[in-house]
Order: sequence, then C-alpha cells, then structure tokens
Amino acid sequence: MSPALGEVRLRATHLHVQFGERKALQDISIEVRAGEFVALTGPNGSGKTTLLRAALGLIPVAGGLVEVGGRPTGELSARERARWLAWVPQEEIPRDNLPVRDYVLFGRYAHLPPFTAEGPHDRELAEAALTQVGLIDRADSGVLELSGGERQRVLLARALVQESPTLLLDEPTAHLDIGHELDLLGRVRKLVTERGGAVLAAMHDLNLAARFADRIVVLSRGRLVDDGAPRAVLSETLLREVWGVQAELREDPRTGHPYLLPVLPGELFPPRRRNERGPVHVVGGGGAGAPILRRLQAEGFRLTAGALHLLDTDAQTAEELGIVFVAEVPFAPLGERAREENRKLLERARAIVVAPFAVGPANLANLEALPAFAGHVPIYLVGGPPDADRDFTGGLARETWERLRAAGALPVATLEELVRTLAQPSALAA
Amino acid sequence: MLAGVGATGTLPHEGAGRPASPARRKYLAWAVGVGGILLVLLSPALGTVAIPTGTVFAILLHQLSGGFLFSDPCSGTGVSPRLCSAWVEIVWTSRLPAILLALTAGAALGMSGATLQGIFRNPLADPYLLGLSAGGTLGAAVLFVFQVGQSEANVALPAFAFLGSILTGLAILLAARVMGGSVESLLLTGVALMSLLSAILSILLLYNPVGSLQVDFWLLGGLGGATWDRVGIAFGGVLVAGVMLSLYRRELNLLQLGPEVAHSLGVEANRVRTRLLLFSSLATAMAVAFTGIIGFVGLVSPHIVRRLVGPDYRRVLPGSALVGGVFLLAANDLAIGAFPQTALPVGIFTAFVGAPFFLYLLYRRRHAPGGAPP
Amino acid sequence: MSLNPPSSDPPAPSVPVAVVVVAILVVCGLTVTATAAYFELKPTSASPGTVTVTDDLGRTVAVPADPTRVAVLSPSITDSMVDLGLRDRIVAVDCYAGAFGGLTADYTASQIAQWNLTSSMCVQAAPQLSIEQLLNATPDLVLVSTIVSESAIEEVSTTYHLPVLVLQPSTLGGIIVDVELLAQVFHVGAPAESLVAALQTHLAQAASVGANLSANGTALPTVMLTYYADSAGYWTYGPGTFGDSLISLVSAVSISAGQTLPYPEMSGPQVLVANPWGIIYAVGFGVNLTIFQQAPYWSSLSAVGADRVWGMDSTLLTEADPTMILEGIPQLLGLLHPTAVG
Repeated sequence: MSPALGEVRLRATHLHVQFGERKALQDISIEVRAGEFVALTGPNGSGKTTLLRAALGLIPVAGGLVEVGGRPTGELSARERARWLAWVPQEEIPRDNLPVRDYVLFGRYAHLPPFTAEGPHDRELAEAALTQVGLIDRADSGVLELSGGERQRVLLARALVQESPTLLLDEPTAHLDIGHELDLLGRVRKLVTERGGAVLAAMHDLNLAARFADRIVVLSRGRLVDDGAPRAVLSETLLREVWGVQAELREDPRTGHPYLLPVLPGELFPPRRRNERGPVHVVGGGGAGAPILRRLQAEGFRLTAGALHLLDTDAQTAEELGIVFVAEVPFAPLGERAREENRKLLERARAIVVAPFAVGPANLANLEALPAFAGHVPIYLVGGPPDADRDFTGGLARETWERLRAAGALPVATLEELVRTLAQPSALAA
Repeated sequence: MLAGVGATGTLPHEGAGRPASPARRKYLAWAVGVGGILLVLLSPALGTVAIPTGTVFAILLHQLSGGFLFSDPCSGTGVSPRLCSAWVEIVWTSRLPAILLALTAGAALGMSGATLQGIFRNPLADPYLLGLSAGGTLGAAVLFVFQVGQSEANVALPAFAFLGSILTGLAILLAARVMGGSVESLLLTGVALMSLLSAILSILLLYNPVGSLQVDFWLLGGLGGATWDRVGIAFGGVLVAGVMLSLYRRELNLLQLGPEVAHSLGVEANRVRTRLLLFSSLATAMAVAFTGIIGFVGLVSPHIVRRLVGPDYRRVLPGSALVGGVFLLAANDLAIGAFPQTALPVGIFTAFVGAPFFLYLLYRRRHAPGGAPP
Repeated sequence: MSLNPPSSDPPAPSVPVAVVVVAILVVCGLTVTATAAYFELKPTSASPGTVTVTDDLGRTVAVPADPTRVAVLSPSITDSMVDLGLRDRIVAVDCYAGAFGGLTADYTASQIAQWNLTSSMCVQAAPQLSIEQLLNATPDLVLVSTIVSESAIEEVSTTYHLPVLVLQPSTLGGIIVDVELLAQVFHVGAPAESLVAALQTHLAQAASVGANLSANGTALPTVMLTYYADSAGYWTYGPGTFGDSLISLVSAVSISAGQTLPYPEMSGPQVLVANPWGIIYAVGFGVNLTIFQQAPYWSSLSAVGADRVWGMDSTLLTEADPTMILEGIPQLLGLLHPTAVG
C-alpha cells in the first residue's frame, strides 16, 4: 500500500461526454490523489481514452466538471494545463528523425516564456528524465531509430520534463513486449511511490493493473462500474458481467496480488470418446502392442491387455494409458496366476487383437490360451504369421497362429486395416 | 503496421533514415552557401545585353561607393559615354533590383512553403495551397479586364495582386475560425475558395482575349518591372513576415507531433496556426504582387533545406528563406542564360529545375531505410 | 515529476509583439527611402529644349526638340517613319519574343530588305518589353503601340526617364493623324504634306467609288476577309477593326459585320450560309493558301468555285500605317470592283 495520500490532483465530477447522439461518458466522478496510481480499465469502447482526453481538454465536455489542482480545466490556458497534466499517448509515430534529446525537450514548452529558447536548466531536466527512463546513452540518436519500447520510454521522459504533478497514460504498454511492459510500469510505479506523483493510466491488462495500481476504476459503456483497491474490485463476477469472460480469481502466492485466470470459452479440443466400445483385449509384448493400444484407445475402445512382463514397453504403455493389464515378473515365464487372470480378461473380452509380438517360451502361453476362444469371440491377427524373426519357439508360435486362423481368426495386415475393421458394429461380439 | 515489439524504427518521413552523415551535410550546406554567394555576385553580369563582366563590377562598385570608385566604369571597353551610362542604368536600375527582388520573393516563397508544410504536416504543401494564387490572379485580372487604375499601372498592378492575395488569406482565416480552425477546415475552405475564385476568373477572361493574354503572361511569373522602390516595399513586407514567422518556430516543431500532442504540451494550436498563416499569407502576397505566380520555389526549397540541416524548424525556416532566394535567382539566371535574346517568364524555369529535382528527392526517400512513404 | 503544484504562467516577453512589428516597419520605411534617395540614378540634366506633345492615349509627353535616335516598337509606326523619310533616325525596332521570332516575326522579308533592318536593332516589345535591349539602343525617344503593356510604358518613362509616345490609331483617319503627329515631332515639312495629301486622296477615291455604285444601284459584294483558318472555321475581322473598316471603305459588305467579338472565328457552316461573293485571305508570317484550303467547306464555297479568291499581304490588312491606305486600298478596290476602278 502506498504511503499516506496527498491532495487531490485530478478530479472529475459528474462528467458527461457526448459525440453527436452517442453518450460516450455518463456521470463519471473519480479522483486521483498525489501518491496514487489509478488504473482505468474497461472493455474496448467503454470510454477510458475518452475520459483521459476529456481531462486533457482535447474534447468538449457536455456536462460536469474536470478539475486539476482544484481549478476547472476550462479556465486554464493550454500552457497552464500542460503544467498540471502530462500525457503519454498510446503510441506516437514521429514524422521526423529528430534527436531524442530534442524530442524530450519539447516537453519544456509549457515552462518557457514565449519566444524563448531552452536554457541550461531545461537541458538538465531532460538529461535527468532520460536517465530515469534508462535512455541516456541514446540521447543523441534519432528518434526513429529506437524500438517501440524505447520510444514509449522517450514519451515518458518527455512527460517527466513537463514537471507536472499528474501523469495521464493511455494504454502505455499496448504495443510493448512483456519485458518492456514490466519495465515501463515499474518505472511509473516508482514515480508514484518515490516522488509522490499522481498517475491515471488506462490499461487493458487487468492483471498488470492489479499488480501495479493502487486503485482500479472500471468503466463499462461509458458508466462507472466500480472504483477501489484491486482486491476489492476484481472478482469473477466483474469479469463476467463487464467483459463477458469466465475467469478464476487467484492470488499470487508471493505478493498477495489478485490475478485472474481466464477460462477459455467453449472447448478447444473435441472430447475424446472414452470407453465406448469393448472391452477389447490386446495380446502383445515387446513394443508390438503399444501402437495398437494407443490407437485403439484414441478410437474410443475400452481396452485390456495381457499378459505382459513388467518393464516391457507394452506394459509401460498400458500403464501410461491407464489400461488394465495382466502383469508378470520380468523375464519369467508366465505363471499360473498370470495365465488365470489373462483367461478371465479374455472371457470378458468382446474382441481379441493379437499384435505381431515376438513370441518366446516365456510368453507362448499368451498365444496358446487363444484357440479356446476362437469361434466365441472375434479374433484379429495383426501382421503376418510369426516367422523366423519373431518366432523363438521353434515353430510352435507359428503353428498356434495357423490354428487360430483356421479356426476363423481374421488376419489384418496393418493397424489401419484393423481400425477400419473394428469400426464396423459387427466387429465385436455382442 | 507500426514498429512494434522489438522491431527497429520504421516509417521515415522527412530526412528519412538520418539525413546524410553530419560531415557530409556540413559539406553540402557550405557548398550551397558558397554557391549562393557566388551566384549573387555573378548574376549582375547576366542579361539580355552582353556587358563585359569587369565593367559590370566596375559599375557596381562605382554606384555603391557613391561615385568615388571607378569614376569611368567603362574605360577599356571603348564604348561611348552615352552607351556607358545606358549600361550603368541597365546594371544598376534594371538588373540589380531584379536580383534583389528574386532573393526577396524567393525567400518569401521558401518561408511560406516551409510554414505551410509544417502547419499541414504535408510535404507537398506549397505557398499557394490555400488559394492565394487564385486571389492574386483575380486581382491582376480585374486590373487588366476593367482597365482600372491604368494610369498608375506601375503601382496598381502590384497593389491589386497583393490585395487579391491577402484578402483571400484573410477570408480563409475568418471562415476557418467560424468553422473551428482545425487543419481540415482550413484546407477545405482554401480549396473551396480557390475553386470559386478560379470560376470568377474564367468568367472575367472569357470574352476578353487581350486581358486573357496579359493574365496568362502574368501567371507565369517574372522579375520584370523590378525597381528599387518595389524592392524596398517587398523587402520590408517580407522582413516583417519573416521575423514574425521566426518567432513561432518552436511551435511549428511542436505542431509536427500532431494537434493533440501539441495541445497536451501546452500549444494553443489554433491560435498559433492562425498567426502562422497570417504571416505566411503576407509573405506569399508580397511575392505574388511583384513577381506573379512562381511555382516550385516554395515547394522544393524546404525539402532541400531538410536534407541539409535536418527537420528542425528552427533551422528549416531561415534555411528555406536563404535557399528559396538562391533558387529563384538561379532559375532567373538560367532563364536569361539559356535564352539571352528572349525575356522568358521565370516560372517556366523554376518548373524545369524544380520538377526533376523534386522527383529526385522523392526517389531518395523511397529508397531510404525502412522505405514506405507516409 | 515535482511534488509542488506548478508555477504560474511565465512572464510575457518584455517587449510586446506589436512594438516589434512597428519597429520593423519603421526600419523598412527608412530603408526604402534611403535606398531610393541614395541609390536611384539621378536623371541626366534635362536635354536642351523639349517640346510637349499629346499622344493617341491623351498623354502629354515632353519630347526632345529634335530626336535623332528613335526606338520604334511597332511595324506600323516604322512604316510611317520610313514613308516620312525618317529611316535614318530609327535605331531600334521591335522583334517579337527574341530567340523564338526575331525580326521575321514582326516584319516581312520585303520590309526587312526595303527598310534595311538588322537584328542588331532588335528590342523585344512583346510579350514582355526588354528594358535592357531598349536601354542598350540609347534612344532619346520611344514610339510604341498599345501592344506594349501599360506598366512597361510607365516603367520606361518614370524609372528610366525616356519619353514614350503611344501611337495607336483606331480608324483609318487616325492613321493620318499619327502621320501629322510624327511630322510635327520630327519637323518634317513638305514630304509630310505630300504624304498626307496622297493619303487623303486615296480615301476620297475609295469613297467615290462607293458613291458611284450606290448611284447605279449596284449591289455591294459580300466579302470574307480572313487572316487564319483551322479545322473549326475561319478567323475574320469583326466590327471595330481595321479590316472591317477597309471592307466598308471599299464598298463591300463583310460577312463578319454582325459579329460581336473583334476577331471572331466563323465556323464552316456559318461561312457556307453567308456564302461570300469573294474571299480575300491574308498571306505572310507563316500563313498561306494551303491553310485555308484545308479549312471546312472551302471547296464548297461559291467564291472558290468562281475563282474569286485572292491573297493579300497581311501587313496591308493589319498594320495601321500609310501603306495600308496607299497600297492596300487600291488593291482591294482592284479585286472587288475591277470595272469601277478600270
């Protein structure tokens, strides 16, 4: 929290601004005091920029009053007003490549007597301002040679040399990257806390506003919706009602500043079809079953697998995908328990998919359990019969495979073909 | 889109990229300055009648010293005393005032062009943007067609042209004040008034071929009829206008930032614009009164100056006065040198020199780093 | 940024703007006066003896008692001077637009040869008077027509102190008046008288032809007098011009008599309808028969079919000088009333 607040620097009372028929601002009353950073927020078109421009006298006011230092701005000459209020516009594209130093010195106009040139005091102020914004080493560069972020800082420096007690900023970080955003707002914050300045800044980013401002003023369609400390103003209700956005209000654990986490409207990814059809039991091992498991799960099948040795790739994939599988100790031949559990899963399955896995004595039982189910449950044999490169059982695996086929198991050459086949309603047992 | 996140600055306007390096600019500025002085010194030797250069200088020194130096300026040329005094008249009463008028009118047009380019933030603005040329021409046409004040034609023509011009300027300022005084209202009022005046002019000239011919010739602009008293009046008027314009150079700089930013920095934009336009109109009207409508001087001079000294109006304004004067003088010298036996209107030559030069300036800007024109 | 409210308006400049303006104007006024006083050339002491003369515009001018170096800036005046035997006094003649015209733009080849004109005598008179060339000729008198602008005349007489007489006759009778004026200025005695008498005789003769014709009841021939033609029509002489006066004098009717403009262009159909009995076209300065042959309806005009088409030296129709009367009128009479003249 900022230290004790000073006098009112800027006050709008029942301000009305109209553009032809359209009421841009209705009955706005706010105050900005010395030592306060007030963030002006609201959706596009809510009147933030209009309010700032009305305060500056750039647009006529239909009703109400704007006062700076206790005096109505309408009574002030442009020069006087410039000495009370400094403005940093949203962006400024310079037409000429003037030196940065000269550009900043423009801010001294309001303090110079007519027809007088700048003096040493003015130049000192410009140097100080450039140092404050960290651009003193670019003082002699042309203003067009700076990056967007640097140019915003030059505008800030120019506002500083105006020596005005109140600073008006219009979306100062709109075109800045995150680093420059934080840098600029940090410097402005310092002005407020260390030098007792008053700042009224139109900001589009609520989180930044909550982070850097003492008070947040919310406008919606030209009306004042709320005005208070960020913690008091920011709420999920506010975001929904004023911006039409769903959000979660969180608190930054380090600083205690509130921040809003928007929930994206609608679903961005189509929901995965879960647990639609099945169970389909996949027999595999050694990585041959993994692609089948992934694909079939993505296609929405409820899967089981077995029996797989722990540490086997397929076992890990199944674990990852949350698929129930029968596990066996690594490298051990399938024990009684494993085979029993596998049998149970097979009994419940409505289809069986046999992956082209490497068969050895340790897992031959997986294949040998299957012929009992041929004829009751559709069996799909992915890939060709086991041949020398995956049959390590001396031909028994191949024999079983052929037996399965003779008993009605359907060979499918590729995974795609399997998916197509399984897509048909008749692919699974009733 | 504008330069944004992390990109280097784009969107050059004047002096795109930096103007040539400071060293090169200084060299160019000196070259222009020395060239200008040389031109002024050598111009009296140019003319329809061939007078030896040495004699020309002798005549000048003779006159400037009140007759003290060079008691017989034509000695060595073998011409009769009568012809010598004719030559003295030619150099002193015909050429020298024309040279000074060229410098004065050129300065007026240069400053006026720079001012209007600043007010309207448009590099294509020239002194006649608001229709002062149409006003001046109408004034002259009234004289030619209605034979008003023919007996004092010497005084009447400049007077009528000046009145036509300055009244147009005042009319625009008044009308714009009623309509708000913004840049747009000034421009539109000027355009409307210019069309109206041109229409009236056309009607006047339609059945008056002699008047039409005279107006055509006047329109092309020229330095004929320059006399010492005209030079004095023109110089006085242009000096007043120039000093007054100079007082607002800082404001001109600030106006370049845009009306809103200028206002926020404390500039009473409308009041400043009015003053600037008033004195710029005075300068233009002075030039129009004594030299007719000479184009390109006011348009090109500020651009030349910007390339030499940068976009700061504290330098561009006085620079445009100097460059404008030298430019017009150079064009006049070209007119004489190219066709010595004919007195051609100088406006033709400002176009001949100005148009290609202007295209060259545009070409340079297109290829400046960051390239897109505004 | 400061903590304190800003200071009040900085003080206004010590010297108000108005004072600055007035000061500058005063300085300028003084400069102008000083310049004029110091720098302007004093006119050379008045020549011994001047005579006051009134010119055609009513200006009273003090001319030298016996001018010996005359700049004549109009071909018609040159003609008058030569006819009065004053050729040796002419030191400068007009040349239109210098490099683009020269002598031949204003004078025909025969004029140049007869009058012995050289380009070193050139002074550009139109479109803009060349002061330098005029001064370089060191004249003591300048004779101009109204082709030279008023302001140029002012300048020559006021700034350069040269006497300028404007001779611009508006009628045929005015030509005689100008001859008499020149005679007066140059003290031409007998030759002037005989010239004037000859001029008056010719005018009278032309008038008598007309009287005879009307006594006989002969219809006056209609004539188109044209000096130029283009694809739109024929350029003729309207009322108030010398061309028109000549036609009237020689007892013919100009088809352009009813026009409003002094130099109107009549369209092809208009001329076809008017169907002049005879056509006289001006020749010279780049204009010849071919130009008229290419004009609309030329071959359909009955005058063309009847071979009543004649060319005349343009100077006889445009230059208001003695030659117009002495040669132009007889020629016209011969073409239009061959029987009456005989």
